[in-house]
Amino acid sequence: MLRSLRIFLPFFAIALLASGLALGQDAKLIEAAKKEGGKAVAYGSLETETYEPVAKAFEKKTGLKVEYWRGSATKVMDRALSEYRAGRPIFDLIITNRNPMDLMKDAGIFIRYESASWKAFTPDVIDAFFGPAYRYNVFGMLYNTKLIKPVDAPKSFEDLLKPQYKGKIVVSDPTQHTTFVQWLANLHKIMGKEKADKLIHGLAATKPLMVESFLPAARRATTGETPIAMGFLKWVYMFAQREGAPLDYIREPIHLGEGHFIALGSKAPNPSTAKAFVDFFLGQEGMKIIAEEGEFVPLKGLVPKVPGSDKWKVVMMDELSSGELKKKRDEYKKIFFGS
Amino acid sequence: MGHKNAVLGRVAPAIRIWGRPLEAFSQPFNWFVIALAGILAFLALYPSVFLFYGSLVDSPLGVPGRFTLKNYADAFLDLEAYRLMLTSFIFGIGASGLSVIFALILAWITIRTNAPFRRLFELTAIIPNIIPPILIAISWVLLLNPSNGLLNVLLMSIFGLAKAPFNIYSIPGLIFAEGLILTPLAFLIIAAALKSMDPALEESAKTLGSGELGVATRITFPLMRPAILAAWTLNFVRAVESFDTPAIIALPARIDVFTTKIWREALGSFPANHNLAAAYGVGLLGIALIFVYLYRRFTSQVESFSTVTGKGFRPHQIDLGPWRYSASAVALLLLIMMVVLPFIILILTSILPYYHVPTWETWQTLTPKHYSYIFQNGRVYRAFGNSLFLATVGATLCMFLASLTAYVTVKTKIKARGILEGLVFIPWAFPGTALALGLLWAYVDFPIPIYATIWILMIAYVTRFIPYGLRAVTSTIIQIHKELEEASVSCGAGFFATFRRIVFPLMRPGLMAG
Repeated sequence: MLRSLRIFLPFFAIALLASGLALGQDAKLIEAAKKEGGKAVAYGSLETETYEPVAKAFEKKTGLKVEYWRGSATKVMDRALSEYRAGRPIFDLIITNRNPMDLMKDAGIFIRYESASWKAFTPDVIDAFFGPAYRYNVFGMLYNTKLIKPVDAPKSFEDLLKPQYKGKIVVSDPTQHTTFVQWLANLHKIMGKEKADKLIHGLAATKPLMVESFLPAARRATTGETPIAMGFLKWVYMFAQREGAPLDYIREPIHLGEGHFIALGSKAPNPSTAKAFVDFFLGQEGMKIIAEEGEFVPLKGLVPKVPGSDKWKVVMMDELSSGELKKKRDEYKKIFFGS
Repeated sequence: MGHKNAVLGRVAPAIRIWGRPLEAFSQPFNWFVIALAGILAFLALYPSVFLFYGSLVDSPLGVPGRFTLKNYADAFLDLEAYRLMLTSFIFGIGASGLSVIFALILAWITIRTNAPFRRLFELTAIIPNIIPPILIAISWVLLLNPSNGLLNVLLMSIFGLAKAPFNIYSIPGLIFAEGLILTPLAFLIIAAALKSMDPALEESAKTLGSGELGVATRITFPLMRPAILAAWTLNFVRAVESFDTPAIIALPARIDVFTTKIWREALGSFPANHNLAAAYGVGLLGIALIFVYLYRRFTSQVESFSTVTGKGFRPHQIDLGPWRYSASAVALLLLIMMVVLPFIILILTSILPYYHVPTWETWQTLTPKHYSYIFQNGRVYRAFGNSLFLATVGATLCMFLASLTAYVTVKTKIKARGILEGLVFIPWAFPGTALALGLLWAYVDFPIPIYATIWILMIAYVTRFIPYGLRAVTSTIIQIHKELEEASVSCGAGFFATFRRIVFPLMRPGLMAG
């Protein structure tokens, strides 16, 4: 036994040394962050209700603050690009979805930061530049269970084309909402081109109510104004289980999703604070807080809180270039508005 | 000697010509006008120049670009733009017209009649000014949507109707909601003018045998014309450039207006196209400037509207007799639509876990958690403090500049006074988002680092709201007769003393309204 211990001792020592080094690195980073002023700035589209518990926990642990400005993905990108190009970037971090992140990366806004927290993620969810997605937004069709009884509920997307659901669906305006356009353009990935085209044209024929984005659509489903809405499936947990709203979703076996990332600014005024935050955000503690808020977090052992999510297969949407997006917008404008 | 005279002869006319400006510069009042013009020019032109620049180049902020007219071509060679501009005009005319009608009725009842509770009505009428327009639009959607709008559900239940009687998702619905949103501002302008009116003309008319209705239609309302036109013009431009109400109400109705097009094509596109948005903004500026010109034409007869004189007076109050209760009922109905119903819906929504049409079970689900969140959230306190600071300091600065500008444009014959008023109205004419764009471009690399501080917001608010302050105070100052100032000057007071002790106190209703 003693011989076995002697064999394992070097490995144990190396592990101890590595963790000590990691802890030492953390401490050095936090020390440097405090010398910077102990404050950083993040712009993002992550909902404030989800961000704040993470920021509070980070501040409690490290004494460092990260101020947050929340906007839609388009506004976040707009602001970041404007400041960067004017030579006055005041942000240290950006937290938003893939499409705008790629555009900003091409503009040189980011610098690659490989956090130690990446190691906890499986390689398939790690992007070579951005690292792991901190969450996936999974899309689907939500419905109000008080107005549509389970026995009458649609069982698939194709069921939405049945006459009984005409005038009962609300979606984002495809001429305004980028992610909805992306969803329509990627439907073929989960149901084949023919079925996808049939669904899009059929959906347009039901003359759905159009709103600005996913959240107003989902809220119309919870208020009962329009019982079926296109939105994020996480809201089934956030609105139903937390608020008591009567919401469920069409249980398709495969859903489309989109990864969201966190990245460090190349001209971050407070890089050490920002790096320390990234380490915490993508670490076990940060990811656990985000999962507790109802998000779909791609870290082993953290299961999304949406009922049935353990049976989901999620296919990531392909990103569209701005030219492709415009082309698709014009196409869907003709389909949904007839002009 | 002859040579000297010849030289003097050539120099003397030159001295006379150049002496006039030199003489002008020796007057303190002229220095004051120059300083005021400088401040207004900086506030108005600095962001406007950047907006024009942005509309004429092919690259975004911070990137060197080339001159191009493509943005204008994209914006205005698109026939849809004109169709949507027409829709916006219909919407604007309807909403502003409705707001002026409501404001006139409310102001007349609260200021000029003996209707019961008129003081309460007067105070209540300005409350909606502090509610963001988007919340009022959302309230009316919750009240009048054809599926489960609360008012529709009640009416269907009471009268046994099969279908909802009202549909907010329509042009009339859009006009109705925006009209209610615009009414408080129109009320402030019209009420201030009504309060400032000397009753002498009305009393003369009554003495000559005119009834109350005759006095109202032949004396009061004509004298109110500048204020009515001011309110209508202001609200028309506000309606045409508004985005909140069309986004909430027009979009579900599949009605597109010009501002939703600007959002779709430029600001909400991916990535945002600020250059195109700037071109659209400049187009809207042109339309608004036409209205500024029209407004100046309408109110050019200053002397004929002078009614505030040196005599003490109280506004003429009409005894409605038994009709006073009906008048109060009308005012109450207006205030129920403007204030009470939106407030009820907002309060109800704030104590429900999620909004739904209330049933008997609803009372068991009421929750204070949204208020707990607010009171426990430090960001809310900080935001409130910032808003209070901006509102107090911003409004004070605004009205200070507005009162000085109003005096120069209304009471003096300075040739450049039209330019002064034009400078004030340039930022007002831009859509809010386009002005914000201009301010962003103008101040993001300003030598003094005010970007991302509260001071850029202060500059934005003062720039944006001076026109409103100017309109409010101009309606009042137009009615101040020059005899009061002439009397002050005759007694030896200079301009600043006359302004401080005579003009400024008489402008108080307009200042408070602003």
